[in-house]
Amino acid sequence: MLEISNLHVAVNGTPILKGIDLTVRAGEVHAVMGPNGSGKSTLAHVIAGREGYEVTAGEIRYLDRNLLELAPEERARAGIFLAFQYPVEIPGVANIQLLKSALNQVRRARGEAELDAMDFLDYVQTRLALVGMKEELLYRSINEGFSGGEKKRNEILQMAVLEPRLAILDETDSGLDIDALKAVADGVNALRSHERAMVLVTHYQRLLNYIRPDRVHVLAAGRMVKSGGPELASELEERGYGWLDTTAEVGEARA
Amino acid sequence: MGKSENVGIGELMQEEYRWGFVTDIEQERVPKGLSEDVVRLISAKKGEPEWLLEWRLAAYRHWRTLSEPHWAKVHHPPIDYQDIHYYAAPKKKAGPSKLADVDPEILATYEKLGIPLKEQEMLAGVAVDAVFDSVSVATTYKEKLASLGIIFCAFSEAVREHPELVRQYLGSVVPHTDNFFASLNAAVFSDGTFVYVPKGVRCPMELSTYFRINANDTGQFERTLIIADEGSRVSYLEGCSAPRRDENQLHAAVVELVALQDAVIKYSTVQNWYPGDKEGRGGIYNFVTKRGDCRGARSRISWTQVETGSAITWKYPSCILRGDDAVGEFYSVAVTRGRQQADTGTKMIHIGKNTRSTVVSKGISAGEGSNAYRGLVKVLAGADNARNYTQCDSLLMGSRCAAHTFPYLEVKNDSAQVEHEATTSKIGDDQLFYLQSRGLSAEDAVNMIVNGFCKEVFKELPMEFAVEAQKLLAVSLEGAVG
Amino acid sequence: MRIAQEDRAAYVAAGRSAMEAGPSWLKLDRHEALENFFRAGFPAREAEAWKYTSLAALERQQLHSPAPGVEFLPDGLPAGHLLGYGNGYALSRSSALPESMLGRLDAALARTTLPAAARFGTLAGRESMLVALNTALWREGLVLHLPAQWRVDEPIFVVRTIDEDGAMVHERSLIVLEPGAEATVVELCNGRGDYWRNPVTEIFVGAQARLLYVRLVEDGVAATHTGALFARQAQDSRLDVLSLALGGQLTRQDIALDLAGAGASATLHGCFLAGGRAHVDHHTRIEHTAAHTQSREIFRGIAAGRGCGVFDGLIVVRPGAQKADAQQSSRNLLLSPHAEIDAKPQLEIYADDVKCGHGATVGRLDESQVFYLRSRGIGDAQARALLTHAFALEACAAVAPGTLRDWLTQRLDGALDRLVEGGRK
Ligand SMILES: Nc1ncnc2c1ncn2[C@@H]1O[C@H](COP(=O)(O)OP(=O)(O)OP(=O)(O)O)[C@@H](O)[C@H]1O
Ligand SMILES: [Mg+2]
Repeated sequence: MLEISNLHVAVNGTPILKGIDLTVRAGEVHAVMGPNGSGKSTLAHVIAGREGYEVTAGEIRYLDRNLLELAPEERARAGIFLAFQYPVEIPGVANIQLLKSALNQVRRARGEAELDAMDFLDYVQTRLALVGMKEELLYRSINEGFSGGEKKRNEILQMAVLEPRLAILDETDSGLDIDALKAVADGVNALRSHERAMVLVTHYQRLLNYIRPDRVHVLAAGRMVKSGGPELASELEERGYGWLDTTAEVGEARA
Repeated sequence: MGKSENVGIGELMQEEYRWGFVTDIEQERVPKGLSEDVVRLISAKKGEPEWLLEWRLAAYRHWRTLSEPHWAKVHHPPIDYQDIHYYAAPKKKAGPSKLADVDPEILATYEKLGIPLKEQEMLAGVAVDAVFDSVSVATTYKEKLASLGIIFCAFSEAVREHPELVRQYLGSVVPHTDNFFASLNAAVFSDGTFVYVPKGVRCPMELSTYFRINANDTGQFERTLIIADEGSRVSYLEGCSAPRRDENQLHAAVVELVALQDAVIKYSTVQNWYPGDKEGRGGIYNFVTKRGDCRGARSRISWTQVETGSAITWKYPSCILRGDDAVGEFYSVAVTRGRQQADTGTKMIHIGKNTRSTVVSKGISAGEGSNAYRGLVKVLAGADNARNYTQCDSLLMGSRCAAHTFPYLEVKNDSAQVEHEATTSKIGDDQLFYLQSRGLSAEDAVNMIVNGFCKEVFKELPMEFAVEAQKLLAVSLEGAVG
Repeated sequence: MRIAQEDRAAYVAAGRSAMEAGPSWLKLDRHEALENFFRAGFPAREAEAWKYTSLAALERQQLHSPAPGVEFLPDGLPAGHLLGYGNGYALSRSSALPESMLGRLDAALARTTLPAAARFGTLAGRESMLVALNTALWREGLVLHLPAQWRVDEPIFVVRTIDEDGAMVHERSLIVLEPGAEATVVELCNGRGDYWRNPVTEIFVGAQARLLYVRLVEDGVAATHTGALFARQAQDSRLDVLSLALGGQLTRQDIALDLAGAGASATLHGCFLAGGRAHVDHHTRIEHTAAHTQSREIFRGIAAGRGCGVFDGLIVVRPGAQKADAQQSSRNLLLSPHAEIDAKPQLEIYADDVKCGHGATVGRLDESQVFYLRSRGIGDAQARALLTHAFALEACAAVAPGTLRDWLTQRLDGALDRLVEGGRK
């Protein structure tokens, strides 16, 4: 589904990603971990198509298309969803307004009929229940004045509504209380299917206790320095990143 | 801190006045008043070339067509421009012959400020011969600069030794027609400082007027011109934190900075002129025109100022961001107390593409002090992607002080991003209580809060200067919160 | 600049009938005001308050006092009291309120027993020459005077249409809410032609009274509008002012609020659209005279085409107005390369125990917001339109949700669509 090869990315001329390879197949869940500033969010933003990131080498293919050619909205309509690490506040635009326009755009792209107001509301109700969010938040401006946890839940609500094929969750678990974490995990698990793929960017094992990943990768200083099965996450939790030689080439580990 | 409960700096200053610095007996002066003849006389006394005389005269003729500006939020009795001596030959002053003769109160202030002994002697007006060492220090300093091709000398010396440079740049940033006080300065400027840093040279030390020979007696109409040639860097320090006296009430200085391609100029000021007595009498009127021209691409000019003195401060260090990718910065702390009035701020004129400017202004008003920020951010039509961020905060102490904010944002380019924010607040009782409950005295608590308030500006000052500035602030605000 | 002798006749002629009617004190006022105007003339660019706006074109224009015209009622006007003015003349009235509460100002001033009459002119003052000319030349006028505790639930619409080229119309309004009274007033200014509209409104909000006042400017594309609004608030009163400047060639609004009673609070919201070659200038002044007063000011400006928007907002905290709490925000969008915004937010503070702040921005839409919407599948143009509308609509928050707000939103949305359309061409 997603194939990233030798991806190099620079911001304002400074190289941030220095040769990333990553393949995600339909039905898989991948976890990406790594120290602060290693480039995880950069990778997520490049996949979603944010401006200001120069791809200096390499490519990203998604469902056999060249992803880098598509505008952000085209990527979204093709089924890519990014849950932001820092969700943006948009005063004056109601949450529900965004959900409705976005859903109908995506449905149109999928060749489905647009939902009318009634059907849309019914549909949103089912999704609200899934992520355990207060209905009141639907009518407030997007993320404005939301608590940290509410913002993260709102991202998951949008994901649940849009039903993407590839979801990238950038630290959606940070700053959540236990119940919220559970709700986010439930939301993710409910969407898990053999035709959907997920990439979870996280610092903590605790999310992975609820959502078992198929693969775990460690990103450090712009490179994937280690990949492994779910057990790698617990190892990282115990030992930190220090034991990995983050300056060395892919996969090399110090004793 | 100090034992003196209520002795503010104002009183100390008064002491200083009473103590020494009797007006000299044998100074050579031209009679009071201003005329073409006086301008000619000044120029002749200094042995200036014809072109400079012509320039002065043009300035004088223009000045006569202007009237004193009154838009600033400052009030003062009318200034009689015909009641001022415009020329006095530099002569040695009669002062105390050694430091031990200086009023102990003043010395205590110096002590608090942590001013080195040699500097204390100079400040206190101890006769120059007595400050033997500092002269030789200055000489070695000058030799080192000369080896790098850096010119750092008195303005009049530059006119004699480097006339082509002076002629090329003088008035190219602040024209002789610029404003009332700038024209007056151009007509009668006494002396000042000239700096030229050649291409690619990074000046290895902070340049400071303190080390310049003949730094004294530049008088009330000082003129500074600093040129940083392509790829060069220089940091210049003006003034010092110790209280300074001067028998001239009106000060109208002009500072011009020119930064060519890739050059960087950092200009830091600590201004602590006599603020006047409790009723505000006798304090210095400080009407200064300071402007930097970022003439070349990627050039950068940064103004940092700590203003605690003068009865009236009227000054707007500005940047003309002409070169593409040029950067202008203005960091300011202005303290007013007693009857002091400050109207200060900056102008950032964005002309080149991708030009950026940052303005951080911190005003502190105590007692009956009045503090105004006045700033202009102008983005011209061709200045694509210009960026400005302005932060302007006022701290109020006492129910009779005043704080004003007058920013102007003029934007003619749709790719520009201009942002201004201002806040006004008093030191919170809860903040004070919190610190006091942790064992700090009220005075220390205020100092801590004020220093926190000014931190963004202090961090822009060169190290030693920052330390002095902090102490100065503490002394200035002594007893401000009861 | 003084008005030249040969140009004075037009103004004298315009005032002929109005200036001779009414009580003698008023006649005297009018003559004095006209003399003052002749002596000082139109404000010039040299004056700080007119730095960004020139009335030179107006000064050169041949102006006359028009005959009564017609009023133009826009679509979907919500239910409420309705007064229609055409070219400054009162034409229609549909309201159950007695004429003494809602009616013509000239009639009210003729009855000197009316307490409202004593307030006439006391806020407008003598400094502004535009106000002086209005004082000299206004005719018929509008008064709203609500007795204590009187509440008017439905909005009062005042529709003012001008439809004659070269017309100058000086509209005068006096609004007095006695203690505890409540009302909503919407003044709609529309028309066609290159006329000059010069309205002056004085508002007194009594103790614990509440007023929502909306000025909706939809003047014709060639029109000049110089409006002045003055308000004074007594203790614990609440005043909400909304200024929507959506039309006209040159619009200038001077709005001055005085929070004179302890505990008074005010909001002043505005949104202006300057497209084509339009010039829209708001000058606002909020004075905190009494302690424990609160003000919130929010302005949103959008300039497109070769339009120019000006915001000059001053907040003054007078000595003794402790615990004043004032916040001001001016945010502006430039939608095209030749548009211009000049913003001048100002604070003048003479008390120490205050909470005051202001923020001003000029720029484009926030790209991170655009990206967020696009990453959810919304197209670039739609995302920008959505954000632009949301940006402008923040100004309407002053009006409680309901029919009136919906209608105002609709007017604003329509004008914004036209602006964005025009900007693309
Ligand atoms: N717009 C930008 N301008 C300059 N540097 C940037 C920009 N965006 C990212 N960087 C830098 O790129 C590096 C990678 O940032 P990124 O946000 O991808 O890290 P991260 O792995 O997500 O970290 P965290 O775990 O803290 O979220 C950091 O050093 C960051 O400072
Ligand atoms: Mg991150």
